[in-house]
Amino acid sequence: MNDVLDVTLRLLIVFAVFLAFPLIVGQTEHKVMAHMQGRLGPMYAGGFHGWAQLVADGVKFAQKEDVVPADADRRIFQLAPAVALLPYLLVLLAIPIGPGEGAVGQVVDAGIFFVLAVMGVGVLGSLMAGWASANKFSLLGGLRTAAQLLAYELPMLLTAASVAMAAGTVSLVGILDAFEWWWLPWQIVGAIVFFVAGLAELQRPPFDMPVADSEIIFGAYTEYTGLRFALFLLAEYAGIVVLCGLTTVLFLGGWHGPRGADGLGWVWTLLKTAVLAFVVIWLRVTYPRLREDQLQRLSWTLLVPLSLAQIALTGIVKVVIQ
Amino acid sequence: MPPIPGSGLAKGLAVTLRTMTKKTVTEQYPDAQPELPPRTRGVIGLFEENCTVCMLCARECPDWCIYIDSHKETVPAATPGGRDRSRNVLDRFAIDFSLCMYCGICIEVCPFDALFWSPEFEYSETDIRDLTHERDKLREWMWTVPAPPALDPGAEEPKELTAARKTADKMAARQEVAQATERHADEQARAAERPTRPMGDSKQQTDQPRTDHPRPDRNQPYPSPKPDRPEQEGRE
Amino acid sequence: MTSAATLGHLAADSTTAAAESQGFLSPTGVEVAFLLVGLVTFGAAVVTVTTRQLVHAALWLVVALGGLAVEYLLLTAEFIAWVQVLIYVGAVVVLILFGLMLTRAPIGRSPDADSGNRWAALTVAVAAAAALVWVVVDAFRTTWIDLDGPAAGSTAVTGASLFQNWVLPFEALSVLLLAALVGAIVLSRRAKANHVTEAGRPTGPNGSGKDGVR
Repeated sequence: MNDVLDVTLRLLIVFAVFLAFPLIVGQTEHKVMAHMQGRLGPMYAGGFHGWAQLVADGVKFAQKEDVVPADADRRIFQLAPAVALLPYLLVLLAIPIGPGEGAVGQVVDAGIFFVLAVMGVGVLGSLMAGWASANKFSLLGGLRTAAQLLAYELPMLLTAASVAMAAGTVSLVGILDAFEWWWLPWQIVGAIVFFVAGLAELQRPPFDMPVADSEIIFGAYTEYTGLRFALFLLAEYAGIVVLCGLTTVLFLGGWHGPRGADGLGWVWTLLKTAVLAFVVIWLRVTYPRLREDQLQRLSWTLLVPLSLAQIALTGIVKVVIQ
Repeated sequence: MPPIPGSGLAKGLAVTLRTMTKKTVTEQYPDAQPELPPRTRGVIGLFEENCTVCMLCARECPDWCIYIDSHKETVPAATPGGRDRSRNVLDRFAIDFSLCMYCGICIEVCPFDALFWSPEFEYSETDIRDLTHERDKLREWMWTVPAPPALDPGAEEPKELTAARKTADKMAARQEVAQATERHADEQARAAERPTRPMGDSKQQTDQPRTDHPRPDRNQPYPSPKPDRPEQEGRE
Repeated sequence: MTSAATLGHLAADSTTAAAESQGFLSPTGVEVAFLLVGLVTFGAAVVTVTTRQLVHAALWLVVALGGLAVEYLLLTAEFIAWVQVLIYVGAVVVLILFGLMLTRAPIGRSPDADSGNRWAALTVAVAAAAALVWVVVDAFRTTWIDLDGPAAGSTAVTGASLFQNWVLPFEALSVLLLAALVGAIVLSRRAKANHVTEAGRPTGPNGSGKDGVR
């Protein structure tokens, strides 16, 4: 009975994080983006600086009509948002925020593989949405999504493998247990490549070619309305949380900090994740969208060689220090 | 020296970060009134006392949005044995702001300075017919007209002032001779000065450099029969 | 799928051959789940090859491959399971979908999505399945995995057995992949050379070969 309670509690906490953190990131994006553009952003909803803007948005989405185009493939069209969203919920289960068993939803032995595998599944949702909408812009968006995933999955995996080599384990908790501060400069190239590739996989600006509004309206999500559209948006922000959390765990040492007091490790994890989320928003505001060919070239001619070089460096250092 | 690769990217990041730390330019309009520049073209105010119903404004209006009705009145002779004068009396002066395109030609052509730009802009209506505003409303807006900006330090004296002073001097000289009528002449001089504006045709002076600190005379209403104007508070 | 299946065998191979007291008539929860997931996987696989809707077939393939991953999980081969999801669901199916959308992916049934030699295909499939089942059954017979002990298919165990006992097949597989890679490069290079010589005009409607492909 105690086990059941424990599992339920963990699931509930992860679910709460899954619902709350994307909203916090979204609200931060509203405000940070506004201020970076010399604006104020939402100011009314909730009274104090528009803190409840996204809640209001959610209520608005829930009230809207759920439209399925006449020519669309109904079942797949309706299933796609769930396929896009659920993987991120699963990934959150495996990300440790503090040392010990208590600070992770579920210890996964092959943590890196689990996380990357499940994140890759999320893109399937966009593909399904793009195909099932019976809309040429959606199909184009789906195609671009697929091309982007194929291009950026490889550097992401390679850099993750580099960390796994350094730590000698593929478990996320194990990696953090083995972490030393000098891994930071050692794996810095890998960290940047991982983060950039993750951004591209999430289709965040400046890698948002699959949803380029000036060209293909909203890509795979063009035909979506109401709650299903909101789910896709939620998936994007959940993806930001997951990516930042993952980069923190893999490259920035998770709960390790300069003043690594026991019991406060989770603060470090959250802090690093928040800073990375800010960087995600910052990059979105600063850079214009990459063209499709630039996008592919960046991955194949820059990120893949860099990640291979990182793996080579990791291997050399690993052999030397042994 | 060739630029370091990626320096452009870093520069972009720096720009956005710097902007974030600066004050935003958003004006929270319904909560806070905007700070409008002088000579804002908000609405047209009418100073009835100066209007002679010459109809120039109505004739020049490209949109034909000014409606004027008047009748003639006979004023008995001021001095015994003199001739009766006739003058125009304004019955109706209305501007249809659904037609007005805010070109300001009526204000330019008014020979007696009866029309002014007011910065007042919150007069939207839910019915287009309510946008035709009659003379009482136009007169209310008159009290929101800010005082004209001060002259440049070395500027020539406006010709109205020169003329008024000349008249006053002439009268004063005459009064030197006839002491008894001094009081009367003085009043006349002031009467000559009041209806016109000290800058003369100050609408042509919009290119005056605008100083950031409010000028001391800006809050002082020029032709202002009313002692206080509550609408003006908080706008400056 | 062969490589994953091979790995699965490796994992199972290193399990403890114990627990003779297991019986068929008192199935545990894991066994029931294993059977149910197996049925779902089998059903999805059948639908994959029989449906007339191309994209649906690819999506049913996702279900089948995902079911397979769950089976690996139930056999405590966690590493294999996640690799299965990563490679097959995350990459292969996405590639298939990409190819489908790039060429033709009509919504609804495609009447011509059928092969004339379905009987030959069925024969090959049944033969392959029979051979696999026979080999697996023959290899393991009544071996049972001890679910309560240390995970028999954990990353460490899999890695150790892969790089100690099974290095040769592993390397052979990588040589196969390398050959495929080289073949792809050769094919694309020849196509480009032909294109240039045939076209002979630098700025044709398709542009030069490289840009046209992009």
